[in-house]
Amino acid sequence: MVTNSLPEKNAPGASLKPDSPEQSMGAALVALQQRQRYIHSVKVTIVWLVLVAVLIGGLLLIRFQPSYMLEHYNIILQGAGATLGVSLASIAIATVLALFGSVARLSSSAIAQGISGFYVSVLRGTPLLIQIFIIYLGLPQIGTQLIRFGYPEVGRLFIMDAIPAGILALSLNYGAYMTEIFRAGLQSIGYGQREAAIALGMTPWQVLRRIILPQAIRIIIPDVGNQFIAMQKDSALVSVMGVWEITYLATRYAKKDSKYMEMFILAAAAYWILTIVSSWFQNRIEKRMSRAYER
Amino acid sequence: MNAEPIVRISNLHKWFGMLHVLRDISLSVQPREVVCIIGRSGSGKSTMLRCINFLEEPSDGEIEIYGLKIPAGGKGKEHNRLVHEARLMTGMVFQEFNLFPHKTVLENVIEAPIIVKGMSRPNAIQLAEEKLDSVGLLFKKDEYPVRLSGGQKQRVAIARALTMEPKVMLFDEPTSALDPELIGEVLNVMKKLAKDGTTMLVVTHEMGFAREVADRVVVMADGEIVEAEKPEELFSHPKDPRTQALIDRYRTGGG
Repeated sequence: MVTNSLPEKNAPGASLKPDSPEQSMGAALVALQQRQRYIHSVKVTIVWLVLVAVLIGGLLLIRFQPSYMLEHYNIILQGAGATLGVSLASIAIATVLALFGSVARLSSSAIAQGISGFYVSVLRGTPLLIQIFIIYLGLPQIGTQLIRFGYPEVGRLFIMDAIPAGILALSLNYGAYMTEIFRAGLQSIGYGQREAAIALGMTPWQVLRRIILPQAIRIIIPDVGNQFIAMQKDSALVSVMGVWEITYLATRYAKKDSKYMEMFILAAAAYWILTIVSSWFQNRIEKRMSRAYER
Repeated sequence: MNAEPIVRISNLHKWFGMLHVLRDISLSVQPREVVCIIGRSGSGKSTMLRCINFLEEPSDGEIEIYGLKIPAGGKGKEHNRLVHEARLMTGMVFQEFNLFPHKTVLENVIEAPIIVKGMSRPNAIQLAEEKLDSVGLLFKKDEYPVRLSGGQKQRVAIARALTMEPKVMLFDEPTSALDPELIGEVLNVMKKLAKDGTTMLVVTHEMGFAREVADRVVVMADGEIVEAEKPEELFSHPKDPRTQALIDRYRTGGG
């Protein structure tokens, strides 16, 4: 029995007394389309399952040990906490950076425009891995010089632990990309909105906070979600500093027990599940934000 | 009419780069007066209206609103304060409505009274509901703008401007973006406002409305005021050939 959300009367086979021939035709057509869509999604699911089965089959052929994975999944789970924590902190800071960056980029001040343009250009133009190295290994060099010159308080700020350094690098890097996303979002709000708000006597700050931002956020949110999903995977790079996140832990055990395939598949699966969960939340937020726009 | 004018525009000029779009405009609007501004597109009528609340910065001349004089070309804090005052005394209705789509009808209307004037929320709601009722849309107060027709959107926009209790209402082609069958409901609201003694400046293509409601009709062409007359005088005895051409065009166009 095909489950569809149509009223009883229109369910296939139940439409014995249609109100009019056209109506019954329409209902039949809708039911047919729904059934086709349903069958299609079942087919797609089957393809997914077949692909997973092929992968698992292939792995088992090369003396792959699922039992090792089962014994060590809790290690990856520990790492998932760090991965998620670093990503959440970084996306939050990056969002704030992007907000200021985009407003500065759209402002009429040459200083604000210059700073924000320079920031975006440098951070987008260099690899994240290099940025991590500069922050984690390069900045302490400045720090030790400052301490030697007699500014120990300032100098110590430049010497960071791995986790703060990782969060800083990810925030700065993603903040630059998201500055462009925010800029496009802010610019997409029609000039009429700004004019109407100004004519009502709002200050530029009120216009931004009450009128432009709330509308822009709806456009920005899907992209921020995508950035967050991408960042969860890019956070693997902080493993180079020895942060105990998914990739670092997977590498450690893989080397120790020579179980590379097992541990990296496990790590990959952990990232994949994180992504699926994040996408689900992203979807929900998007739906909620578009409520005002449903006819 | 010897009362102090609500709006006095003196020797107003506006340049867009090399383009001289307003050439020495002077116009006064008395309390309770309804002035309709007609003219072809590009005649400068919208620009003139937008100079009154400084959505366009005038290039030269002076705008005076309710005794508050603001010279053109000002800069800095003091100028911004004057402009802010001017915007509080003017309510504007746009061709494209410009309702805030992320807010309900009621939220659209109470937004500025609360955050600009600092009115308490209950007071703002009471006032907003009064104004929404006067445009006949109180029953839509919890809807989002996307669910309203164009005519309804414009009526909400009028209520939104009225809730700020301005001294003068500025209408910038309020019916030009509407389907023909929706124009009437907006014009009716405006007629009611006029009858209640609202001071209004209306840029419009609706000759019928101008003829029926206006106390004075101003004809603009090439950035200048060509004529400013009582409607019966202007429509029956146009003095300037450009006025004649404008009236003929609408008559033959069925407008």
